[in-house]
Amino acid sequence: MLCIDVKNLSKSYGSIKAVNNLVLSVKPGRVFGFLGPNGAGKSTTIKLLTTLIPPSNGSLSILGIDAIKNPLQVRHKIGVVLQQPSYEPTLSVEKSLEKYGMMWNIPRTERKKRMEQLLKDFDLVEIRKKRNEDLSIGQRRRVQVAREFMHDMELLFLDEPTIGLDPNARRNLLDYLKNKVKTGLTIFYTTHILTEAEYLCDEIAIIDEGKIITVDSPDSLKTKFGKEKTIKIHLLEKNFDIQSFLSGIPDCKINFESGTNIIIHSEQSELVLLKVLKILNDNNIEIEDLSAVPTNLEEIFLKMVRENASDN
Amino acid sequence: MHPIIRLVNRNITISLNPGFLIWQVIFPLIYIFVAGFAYAPLIQQVPFGAKDLDYPAFLASGMIGFNIMNSTLVSGIIIWNDRRHGMFEQIMSGPFTRSHYILSNICTIGVIGLVSASLIALVGYPVFFDSVEFSLITIPMIVFGAITGSVLFGSLASIISTRLRSSEGFNVIINTVFLFFAFVSTAFYPAEGAPEPLRSAFYLNPLTYLVDIIRAGIFGNITEFVIIEMVVLLGIASILFVIASKLLTKLDF
Repeated sequence: MLCIDVKNLSKSYGSIKAVNNLVLSVKPGRVFGFLGPNGAGKSTTIKLLTTLIPPSNGSLSILGIDAIKNPLQVRHKIGVVLQQPSYEPTLSVEKSLEKYGMMWNIPRTERKKRMEQLLKDFDLVEIRKKRNEDLSIGQRRRVQVAREFMHDMELLFLDEPTIGLDPNARRNLLDYLKNKVKTGLTIFYTTHILTEAEYLCDEIAIIDEGKIITVDSPDSLKTKFGKEKTIKIHLLEKNFDIQSFLSGIPDCKINFESGTNIIIHSEQSELVLLKVLKILNDNNIEIEDLSAVPTNLEEIFLKMVRENASDN
Repeated sequence: MHPIIRLVNRNITISLNPGFLIWQVIFPLIYIFVAGFAYAPLIQQVPFGAKDLDYPAFLASGMIGFNIMNSTLVSGIIIWNDRRHGMFEQIMSGPFTRSHYILSNICTIGVIGLVSASLIALVGYPVFFDSVEFSLITIPMIVFGAITGSVLFGSLASIISTRLRSSEGFNVIINTVFLFFAFVSTAFYPAEGAPEPLRSAFYLNPLTYLVDIIRAGIFGNITEFVIIEMVVLLGIASILFVIASKLLTKLDF
């Protein structure tokens, strides 16, 4: 059974199509990354999948339940951490967790136990008595994410959960999520930080202008779309003729940043690099530093979004 | 535990803070024991049905209705805070429906209204115990007034909270409306003897009906007019409740 099965899902606000014929499926026990630029339709999609808003068209099955007909049944089985902060300003951290567990009907002894564990797991012990309104943005975000683990769920929606977190807290959260996935939890994860998606996700969908451009594993995306490599060369001294020396090399795009930095983009980077090195050697131009940047998800993401924009 | 009870539990927890308790208890006590006795030499007896009440007794009974109205501000504050701090969306993405949310708010204000009324009745009792005439009819009447009044003013506060996003706007509007209700009513002074336009204005104000019902319940003065006031109060409460529910149902995320 698929955890999420979406067919031709659309959501329109007047003439604006926020989500346009979305098709996606998420298998259980995986982290599904949902990436896209601002305004691409990520948050609207999360609101549709979590039954917060009804779709204009299409079918939506969550954990085998028709989410359009039985939204409440779905909501009993999912957890949601929305992009915007959510907190009760006057409650302390521990009271927030405890009350949230109560709202989910978790028995008192069990919620005390879970609360203590989450305070430790999310590094909240020292601030457990602090009121939410007195917390920093990052601390509040940690409480918001921790709170969701007070109840049991089969599927967790996380909409940019690391906003405001420092690198340490971010890594701790990602590792915590990885461990939860090992116990069978499925996660639908949106983020702007592509290294996070690369670290955490088993499968990634890129959405732009309400449409899914591609869905695949991070490795497959790199293989499919990441043929182009970037070579960075830093010259020892400024050379104002360098542009004319390298201008005849085919199958590449060369950017000259000042007189010392050369950035080369090419799908045949090895051949191009040999030619560049030969030219530099022939002209007695010394290199201080040279690096080949491996293809990362960010480059693929930017490339795909740019291509999608130019196609439209 | 039923979802509504869980939400009521949560609503009461987030509402009970020292500021609110001071507002709920200390202010009415100041009115009853300071204003009541300070004005007593000026307003010696207030005619009420077949009785003449001392002004402190008249004021203390009025304070019960006043306090019910004030306590229902909680409903507006809960909704406004939930929207402002993202908890409305969070609750709606959990195991609750909008009906649960709306009904939990009504139950919360009903509970807080009843507790407030009992609290003020308890502390005000020494002031009006000479004239009290409780009976099997008057006690349900007081409970009816407390619950219906809570629903009425709670719905009104909810309506205001759904229409306003800024805290300044919410505070200004709610305080202005509730200040008007408080002082253009029979909570502090009797309608009889007031200038005619003001007297008419008193009866455009639902707090007057609530106060009259509570007062009639405490002092055992059930007249045809009070029964009409009960019907009017119920009618206005029902209309405002329907409007509040519709607005809450339509709240966007």
